[in-house]
Amino acid sequence: MDLDLQGKRAIVTGGSLGIGSAIALALAREGCDVAINYRRHDTEAKEIVGQIEALGRRGLAVKADVASYDDAMHMVRTVVERFGGLDIMVCNAGINWDGVIWKMTEEQWDKVIAVNLKGYFNYNKAAAVVFKDQRWGKIVNISSINGLRGKFAQTNYAASKGGEVALSKSLARELGKFNVNVNVVAPGMVMTDMAANIPPEFLTKAMDETVLGRFATPEDCADVVAFLCSDRSRHITGEVIKIDGGQYI
Amino acid sequence: MSRVGIIGIGHGVFGRRSDATVQELAFEAFRDALEDAGIARDDIDASVIGSVPEYHKQRSLPGVVQEYLGVNPKPTWLTEVACASGSAAIRTAWMAIKAGVHEVVAVIGCQKMTELSTPEILGLMGRVGEVQWESVFGTTFPAYYALFARRHMHEFGTTRDQLLQVAVKNHHYGAMNPCALFRKEITLEKAKESEEVATPFQVYDCCANADGAACVILASEGAAREIAKKPVWLDGMGCATASMSVLRRPNLVGLPSAVEAARVAYEMAEVGPEDVKVADVHDCFTVAEILAYEDLGFCKKGEGGRFIADRQSYIGGKVAVNVDGGLKAKGHPIGATGVSMTVEIVKQLRGEAGERQVSDADVGLTHNVGGIGQYCFVQVLRRD
Amino acid sequence: MFKWFGKVNFSPYTKVAGFAQELRDGRLMASRCKACGATSFPPRADCAECLSGDFEFLEISGKATLHTFTKIVAAPTGFEDLAPYTVGVADLAETGRLLAWIGDTIAEDEIQIGMDLQVVPRIFEELEEIKVYYTLEKPGTAWTKTKSSA
Repeated sequence: MDLDLQGKRAIVTGGSLGIGSAIALALAREGCDVAINYRRHDTEAKEIVGQIEALGRRGLAVKADVASYDDAMHMVRTVVERFGGLDIMVCNAGINWDGVIWKMTEEQWDKVIAVNLKGYFNYNKAAAVVFKDQRWGKIVNISSINGLRGKFAQTNYAASKGGEVALSKSLARELGKFNVNVNVVAPGMVMTDMAANIPPEFLTKAMDETVLGRFATPEDCADVVAFLCSDRSRHITGEVIKIDGGQYI
Repeated sequence: MSRVGIIGIGHGVFGRRSDATVQELAFEAFRDALEDAGIARDDIDASVIGSVPEYHKQRSLPGVVQEYLGVNPKPTWLTEVACASGSAAIRTAWMAIKAGVHEVVAVIGCQKMTELSTPEILGLMGRVGEVQWESVFGTTFPAYYALFARRHMHEFGTTRDQLLQVAVKNHHYGAMNPCALFRKEITLEKAKESEEVATPFQVYDCCANADGAACVILASEGAAREIAKKPVWLDGMGCATASMSVLRRPNLVGLPSAVEAARVAYEMAEVGPEDVKVADVHDCFTVAEILAYEDLGFCKKGEGGRFIADRQSYIGGKVAVNVDGGLKAKGHPIGATGVSMTVEIVKQLRGEAGERQVSDADVGLTHNVGGIGQYCFVQVLRRD
Repeated sequence: MFKWFGKVNFSPYTKVAGFAQELRDGRLMASRCKACGATSFPPRADCAECLSGDFEFLEISGKATLHTFTKIVAAPTGFEDLAPYTVGVADLAETGRLLAWIGDTIAEDEIQIGMDLQVVPRIFEELEEIKVYYTLEKPGTAWTKTKSSA
């Protein structure tokens, strides 16, 4: 399927690692110029930019803390200047900081909400302003199946992931008349750095949940995201697509 | 072809008539007309009602008016062409008599405006333009005529003072008319201080909504000469239309429907504008009267402002216009206005207008416009 | 959907409903009779000249000159929140006349009969429903045209 993304310009937050880097490279392969942000991992970020350029596209790494409203506005401005515009926004940067609620500190809650939920607001808003005026845009927000269901020791994470879904649906309503699609992908367990910290018994439990008997690779997520960034999916908006191998049906 | 005459007239008080239903208002005027004609109710062969139904809660007005007047089972029906509905009713009665279908026909123009709130009336009246392409921007009836006024001022140098002089004149004469809504004179200074409505119009450029009714009884020439001491003849009857949308008019400095209706009426009556001594024209807004002077040929195109500044439309001027107060001082119960104008001209031609009498009034004219000139009816009346 | 046209719409069903779709995509359309070539703005399905019902839309530039205007202070139901607003009648360069609000690029004291104007397609951005309209702006005012969604 030709996604017709030649020459489109995209931002992928959290694009230096894991799912984000897979999405950045998938979009570059499809013909996009891609900008990624990084908070600490500048080496990895430069590596991804190198790979994007090796694919013959323009790449850009911008240091920005997604929880910062000003950083987000500045990053979008920078990308519009350097790439000549912006067509695609993929919000992927996220953290978790688990714990049962009676042990969860205020900082644990605030930090996860700030990076995951506020961060998506910051970038969605910055992109919306550009997309609305140009009457074209694709926003894909990466959530989680744990934003659709309750998860033990993840009141903060689940709240932020669930919030991203509601934000995206509301935004889809606001931007529809301007020819802008806003969708969510909700992965289940994905084999990334975040997952490496999970104790083996929990991994087994997760595997048992899937009906396909496997976990997602970052590329499994990237392919769906690339589809949602294209006009092939132009009639899909306000939708949530699980990429969970049947973990949560 | 024999003439059609007016043998009886009746006119109620115009105003905020919270004391009466529309059929009760109609009855006032009808009763007075019967008395004036000196005929019995049974002598009426048919009645035509001029009214705009959308303003009333009562559905199908002719039925309720007929019943209250007590003229069942005689024929009746409604004519509606916005603010010219009254004249349309007169024209229909005239046609019926000319064709020999009826001999004596009562025409009742009746209207209640105040059953609706002011924003509702504004909305409804504003929709007399083209709702598909214009009302979607919140146009109002004053706004439409304001567009004409602005253009007339631009093309011919007509001034605000000249426009407001129309209101001053009409209030001057309205003060002498016991049926008028406003019976106080106003000064030009007072008019200039009033609130903006749709620029350049202020409150005093605009006629007021009102409730009211008027009635004329028409008869064939034979019957008229038998019944009436001073029949007045409907000798020139002109009716013409123009596009609903102001966007499709040839210009916005005159009403082509009025020019054409006047041409037909003058030709039929075998007179010219210079013969007209007294006229009632449709001054829904000050500029409308100025356009009327020009469209009816009382003065040249563009000179309407000077015509009133020179007091040519006052009693004693070239042609006395709206010396019953016009729509401006009487108020404008839209279905009744055309009939009200006719009542006034009949009075003038009979010599019964008291302190507002125009001397030697032998040829009179009414000019009744529907909407923004979508319809215009011009009548030339003469006495023996 | 013609009901998209205008702050308050009174005629949702019309043969020229496609006008609203085009306006939403940033294109101002007149009509042209396929039988005799006569054009019209506002668009009309049935030809005033030859009576044919076979018409097509014709994109026009939106260049216009101001014929007359008025500032409406007393507004009708549904428009009270916008009052006062100024309505202008403009002669279009290609054909016909148009009535619309005078937009933000023109200050009240700049309005003059005879001035050049640009008709600009607009969307009521902060209404949830799709509602489209156009305004009279200074020449050169830009707007975006969407690829047709047909």
